[in-house]
Amino acid sequence: MDLNYSPEDREFRAETRRWLQANAPRQELKTLEDRRGWHRKLYDRGFIGMGWPKEYGGQNAGPMRQAIVADELARANAPAAINALGISIVGPTIIVHGTEAQKQRYLKKILTAEELWCQLYSEPNAGSDLASLKTSAEDRGDHFIVNGQKIWTSGGVIADWGLLLARTDTRVPKHKGISCFLLHMRQPGVEVRPLRQITGSAEFSEVFMTNARVEKSDLIGRLGQGWQIAQTTLSYERGGNSLARVTRYAGAFGQLLKAARTLRRGDRPLLDDPVVRAKIGRIYAELEVQRYAALRILSALEKGESPGAASSVTKLSYSEFEKRYYELVEEILGPYGQLMVPLAEDDVAVDVDTSSGSRGTWAHAFLWSRAGTIYAGSSEIQKNVIGERVLGLPKETRADRVKAGEAS
Amino acid sequence: MNFAFTDDQQLLKNSARTFLDAHCPSTLVRSLAEDPRGESDTLWKEMTELGWLGLALPEPYGGSGLGMVETAIVLEELGRVAYPGPYVSTILAASVIADAGTSAQKEKWLSAIATGTARAAVAFLDADLDWNPEAVATRAERAGSGWRLSGTKRFVPWAHVADALLIPARTSDGLGLFVVPASAPGISLAPMAAIDASTRWVNVKLDGVSVGGDAVLGAPGGATPLLEAALRRGAVGAAAGMLGAARRCLEMSVDYAKVREQFGQLIGSFQAIRHKCAEMLLEVENAHAATYYAAWAIDAGADDAAMAASVAKSYVGDASRKVCGEAIQVHGGIGFTWEYDLHLYFKHAKALETMYGDADHHRELIVRLVAA
Repeated sequence: MDLNYSPEDREFRAETRRWLQANAPRQELKTLEDRRGWHRKLYDRGFIGMGWPKEYGGQNAGPMRQAIVADELARANAPAAINALGISIVGPTIIVHGTEAQKQRYLKKILTAEELWCQLYSEPNAGSDLASLKTSAEDRGDHFIVNGQKIWTSGGVIADWGLLLARTDTRVPKHKGISCFLLHMRQPGVEVRPLRQITGSAEFSEVFMTNARVEKSDLIGRLGQGWQIAQTTLSYERGGNSLARVTRYAGAFGQLLKAARTLRRGDRPLLDDPVVRAKIGRIYAELEVQRYAALRILSALEKGESPGAASSVTKLSYSEFEKRYYELVEEILGPYGQLMVPLAEDDVAVDVDTSSGSRGTWAHAFLWSRAGTIYAGSSEIQKNVIGERVLGLPKETRADRVKAGEAS
Repeated sequence: MNFAFTDDQQLLKNSARTFLDAHCPSTLVRSLAEDPRGESDTLWKEMTELGWLGLALPEPYGGSGLGMVETAIVLEELGRVAYPGPYVSTILAASVIADAGTSAQKEKWLSAIATGTARAAVAFLDADLDWNPEAVATRAERAGSGWRLSGTKRFVPWAHVADALLIPARTSDGLGLFVVPASAPGISLAPMAAIDASTRWVNVKLDGVSVGGDAVLGAPGGATPLLEAALRRGAVGAAAGMLGAARRCLEMSVDYAKVREQFGQLIGSFQAIRHKCAEMLLEVENAHAATYYAAWAIDAGADDAAMAASVAKSYVGDASRKVCGEAIQVHGGIGFTWEYDLHLYFKHAKALETMYGDADHHRELIVRLVAA
């Protein structure tokens, strides 16, 4: 065991920090063009698609370097890169499963954010049971015609393209009849409606596809291979950002301490109240454990180990922690914790970073914390995965498996 | 950055597992539970031969000069079998003597400990059970060139088998620490029988116990930092033991859920059981990260070593409570029987929860550190 960063990694971190101090925007980027501009700057510096192979425009950087850059971005409160799904999911999917022509056509523009991407997976009736999705893609010779509805599409409003899962065969068991496509979002058959969440903002959207067209050359992999492809892409969504996430929690913790020193109960600051101290001590211990666990994962990734199903433990751990964390903050801050707009004369720190990467109040962060245990596989799904694939517990009897068995 | 064990550390873990499975089976743990002494001399000798007593002691005194990570590896394996005996208490006392002892004190005690001929314990707690060394009420008064100690020490682990007791006592110069032979006149011991027969606690009364001037450990009046350092090692050691017990409980639960049928199905196929097991795994993995991070931080002299020790003790205490408790629930009725082994680990973890500062104590230390 040696948990020290190597001298090279320390130097890389210092360089990254210096560059961010000189270049990171000082305020929130309001327009899409400003956000593209910042993205482009990060790209030119080699901070976008760092893990991608060099031949496709990446840096072939190891997990530690990627984690350090993400961590420093979080520490600097820098705005997030704009094409996150394109870079973390769509690009790697094309690299692994795409044709040479697809790679030439799409990869560079994902990296530069010239084309923005979204992911068209979940449907109103296919959430945790994603494989039951109904959106259809019908083979019309040189193209497919797509009909159906997607939901929970991050960045749907600004996306130029979407990575689509659609059913191409209804006669086979559900996991086998799904194919994966690249869908052009800027066409008459695609309608995007922003979906307002409990936070009041609309990071997600609903996407309606009515006789939308997908070229045959935009099928990824083989017909019927979509589920398998989605499984690999889903696992790109877990694990990598763990250090940066903890750094954001720690930044918010600093704000919490500040507030607990400022607010008073009776004749003393909240921070001197033994009940509050016990709560703060507990949550800080949990936060530190998140950090240790992140280092452990990073160390395994650096050695080329693939966490596989064990990454479900990580996702379950941080998302459940995040809910407990902000519930506790709410308990300590009382109604201050519910302010959606910071006070004009603000002597109580109510302005924090949320895990979504944008600035907001505690209330915003608290509301956001409800998302993590649902997206990218709910806690219940993660526990099923852990039970079956990590602990080797028997599979449950499922109505759909029974039916599929009868049909075959 | 490497969070994994080195080859040597992995070897130590594997050999400890193999050795303890063979030499400390639950049949032995159960038979020692009926024994007034509560530990096995044979096992102690074997552990000595494996080099475990001198694992972290300096080489000149027969030790191997290894660190807290190796110690935690052994302690996790010991927790896994609910090992009954004075291992932690002895190596903690030895670590204090190694930190602060004179060469005569080291010569006398460390070599004896490393070769298995002496056992020892630190008597951290007085009657009011405050883990803060400053709260010690036991007094030491000068008597000629030596001292006279009076007071009551509670929950001293394995004092009845110890050759030396390390007694914190208040002097006119501040808190002192004294190495006292356990057989000294004026010391009376009474067992404090509790739920875990693998953790024996003893009430130690000191009634004007006379010791020489050479009994003082470290600078007179300067015992607080010594005891705090020992408590940090104790906290991480206890965390390792609880981790071992918790992992054992998880494994037993998963194995059971794979064979036990109800309603015509294996109970592990029910989400109610499977989700519990998944949550238990999550706690065990986090407990692993917390324990070994803290052990490494102590060895590396990291800035956050004190923080990490308190994080580990408080987090792993809560985690093992949950995991060992849920293990009984997953097993149902059989988990509540004396005959089934699960309660050995459940009780062992429970006893360790209270040692070297409970979770509340360490959470307060965390706040002091983070708000400083």
